Amino acid sequence: MKAPLLALLLLAAGWIAVGQNPASPIRFVYRPIDFRLDSSETPERHAPETMAGGVAVFDYNNDGYLDIFFTNGADIHTLQKSSSKYFNRLFENDGKGNFKDVTVKAGLAGMGFDNGVAVGDYDNDGYKDLFVGGVHGNHLYHNNGDGTFTDVTAKAGINRPDSQYGPLWSVGGAWVDVNNDGLLDLFVVNYLAWDINTEPRCEAGPGKYDYCHPKFYKATPNQLFLNNGDGTFRDVSAESGIRSHPGKGMGVGIADYDLDGLMDLFVSNDKVYNSLFHNKGGGKFEEVAFEAGVALTENGQFISGMGVDFRDLDNDGYPDIAFVALDNELFPIFRNLGKGGFADVTESSGMARLSAPMAGYSPTIADFDNDGWKDVFITRGHVQSLGYASRVAVEQPNTIFRNLGGMKFQALTAEAGLTAQPPKRHRGSAVGDLNHDGRLDVVASALSAPAEIWMNDSPGGNHWIEFALEGTKSNRDGIGARIKVVAGGAAQYNHVSFAAGYASSSAGPVHFGLGRNASVESVEIRWPSGMVQELKNVAADRVIRVKEAE
Amino acid sequence: MRLSAMKGALVLLALAARLWPAADPRAAAEANAGLDLARAGKYLEAIRHYRAALALDPSLPGLHLNLGLAYFKLNRFTDAVPSFEKATKADPADFQARALLGMSYYGSRRFADAAAQLQRASDQQPDNTELRFRLAQSYLWSQQYDAAKDQFQSLLLKNPDSAPVHMLLGEVLDAANQEEQATAEFEAAVKASPREPEVHFGLGYLYWKQKRFDEAGREFQAELAAQPQHTQALTYLADAEMHGGDEASAVDHLRQVLKLDPKIRLAHLDLGIVLAGRNESDQAAAHFREAIRLDPSKPDAHYRLGRLWLAMGREAEANAEFAEVKKLAQPEQLEPLVRIPGRDAGGTQ
Repeated sequence: MKAPLLALLLLAAGWIAVGQNPASPIRFVYRPIDFRLDSSETPERHAPETMAGGVAVFDYNNDGYLDIFFTNGADIHTLQKSSSKYFNRLFENDGKGNFKDVTVKAGLAGMGFDNGVAVGDYDNDGYKDLFVGGVHGNHLYHNNGDGTFTDVTAKAGINRPDSQYGPLWSVGGAWVDVNNDGLLDLFVVNYLAWDINTEPRCEAGPGKYDYCHPKFYKATPNQLFLNNGDGTFRDVSAESGIRSHPGKGMGVGIADYDLDGLMDLFVSNDKVYNSLFHNKGGGKFEEVAFEAGVALTENGQFISGMGVDFRDLDNDGYPDIAFVALDNELFPIFRNLGKGGFADVTESSGMARLSAPMAGYSPTIADFDNDGWKDVFITRGHVQSLGYASRVAVEQPNTIFRNLGGMKFQALTAEAGLTAQPPKRHRGSAVGDLNHDGRLDVVASALSAPAEIWMNDSPGGNHWIEFALEGTKSNRDGIGARIKVVAGGAAQYNHVSFAAGYASSSAGPVHFGLGRNASVESVEIRWPSGMVQELKNVAADRVIRVKEAE
Repeated sequence: MRLSAMKGALVLLALAARLWPAADPRAAAEANAGLDLARAGKYLEAIRHYRAALALDPSLPGLHLNLGLAYFKLNRFTDAVPSFEKATKADPADFQARALLGMSYYGSRRFADAAAQLQRASDQQPDNTELRFRLAQSYLWSQQYDAAKDQFQSLLLKNPDSAPVHMLLGEVLDAANQEEQATAEFEAAVKASPREPEVHFGLGYLYWKQKRFDEAGREFQAELAAQPQHTQALTYLADAEMHGGDEASAVDHLRQVLKLDPKIRLAHLDLGIVLAGRNESDQAAAHFREAIRLDPSKPDAHYRLGRLWLAMGREAEANAEFAEVKKLAQPEQLEPLVRIPGRDAGGTQ
């Protein structure tokens, strides 16, 4: 009995050593959580099996601590959660490092093959609600404010089959007030047309099936539902101009990229060109990806666009785009030039060389070392099955791309402690400060494997500040509000968006790293309503709650 | 990136030398006459006599083997296959027949079949290095990468300084997307035999794939020092220079490439990119157009040209190119291999 015990101790010691690499400016320590993503993987390799895995980090009970929600699969043949192993899961954070499974009590176990999740307080009652998108079925869960949710899908009217494309497969969504009426509208990202009865099979070797290239499936349109303010939504996909641009959507990033006061939408597509929906106002959008230079990467290839984030990476006030793809397709970075156009800086940023051998799913732009420059955390893993492992690295560790400033990145994987767990087929991820230590933590899902919590253990003691906004005229979550922080004479920008990475939602306060600055000289908040609020000389290392002035 | 061909390497097996008993004197006479001709290197004539013998007595032992061998010597591998198949069927333990069948499949580019036969032959003669080399290649070309890797690695145990084996193992690893390990094998190949044809190009290509453009450039230049007309090395050198920021050298080299071979699409595309960056828009557009003409099915040149037109304020032309890109993404363009469940399958990538 002694040998195995010794081996375990050595293994544990090794994990600790890896997880606490003193040389890395960003490092994480692994924490387990009792969730295993089950997408009903079969030898036939049906497409949805490899696409599951949304994650949300949000405070469902307003106790000040961020909780965790995972979407989960279902029996692939029936698209029903025939077993509790397929339940979606909600874990309540007690603030003491414990996450308690409250799924059943909350009423969030779900019914179908769920894929993505979007957090947003659509009825402005102060409790965050959940949109859960899935294969041929979407659900809206209203947060009752007492620890339970009610499925209000039928009333909301967000789950009707498309008249032309039939039932859709949603991989995620974003809550965003597209017309600045103070009500969050819902943008749903749809992947591709899938039917188990007519799906092609793709052979990776004699008698061995693997997931097919998206070119074997038809594109589908995304959807936009306008919030009527009474618990119902109106499908404005066609009249808004969204529906006429079908794609194979994998991620949505929301930002006002041209600073005209209206939130725009970038959709990363899988092996077809991306979409950039410019908000023209009045609920109308124009698709401008080609004109803006974000339809394709600089090399003009159709790549496997996966998750996306849309935030200012270079502190110039204009939101940039980071999305991910598979190996040798790179993790593209589009720098916002400020005149409606973008430049592909993947190569000059160093991201090309760093990401060339990697396959990514879920990128999140946030400042993980609190140095004042937003980094990019990317969950990694290949879309192909484990049977394909002799040809590509199917299971991969996650990587944090540290922003060195000036749009230059450094990749940290083992150095950041992220090899403290075996490589996996990681999927969704969400970010937030789970333990109130001022450092952003990450929750990631992985196919047929335990989920991971990566507690941020970065050294340096940099200062930080977070803003939890409460809209009054604007939507209550403040989604779309633009925040400018000046500390140490340098400005930083971010905006409220819960849409994160792949199929996921990060709904914590807006986080800023402040480096050595123990206070902030000024804060400017531009609300979607047009209201501008300013704060002066704010002490750092705290969450500032700001209510929109009436 | 296939680095070696079959030709010139078939020294594995000695000519079969069997005299036939005189059960049917006419058949035996034809067979022996064929054998004498084969020994004299007159394989076509030998084939005629073997065939005459077969017509008289198809059961004559060893006749199929020698007929196959005559075809094999003429590099008529497809013709050799049926004879070797019959020979192995008649005597499954016949190493020579099985090895030749495997080699003939290889020569016919039936690599999976070749691997199956060569594996059985190799099991009979595990120390036969050349056979194992071909077996490893057969696994490689039939995309059985794990098996190929095992074979090349075992070859390296016996001959650690074989540049061709390092290179082929590197290819296996590259095909399996293990680029770092593939690079290490090519680096070992360069070390073992820096004058091996294609070794610098192969290593440069791997560096290029990993965006290690400086190192790639050095390797392409080394290949060009030995083979100045190596247009692929020149093209990739220019591309590496372009990505590395040395646009002047890139332009020089791209123009050299196009003098050597004006049909190299990547050279047109890259030249268009550099010239567009220098605001030499008309010339850039001409190269993008040529890249489109050489392969209209790729979106990149359309996209580049569209972006160029947009920058020049020629919106209608830009939109026309963007429309081409969108068309290329449509299912009817990209879904020629749709399979219905229960039928045979399409590829994954």
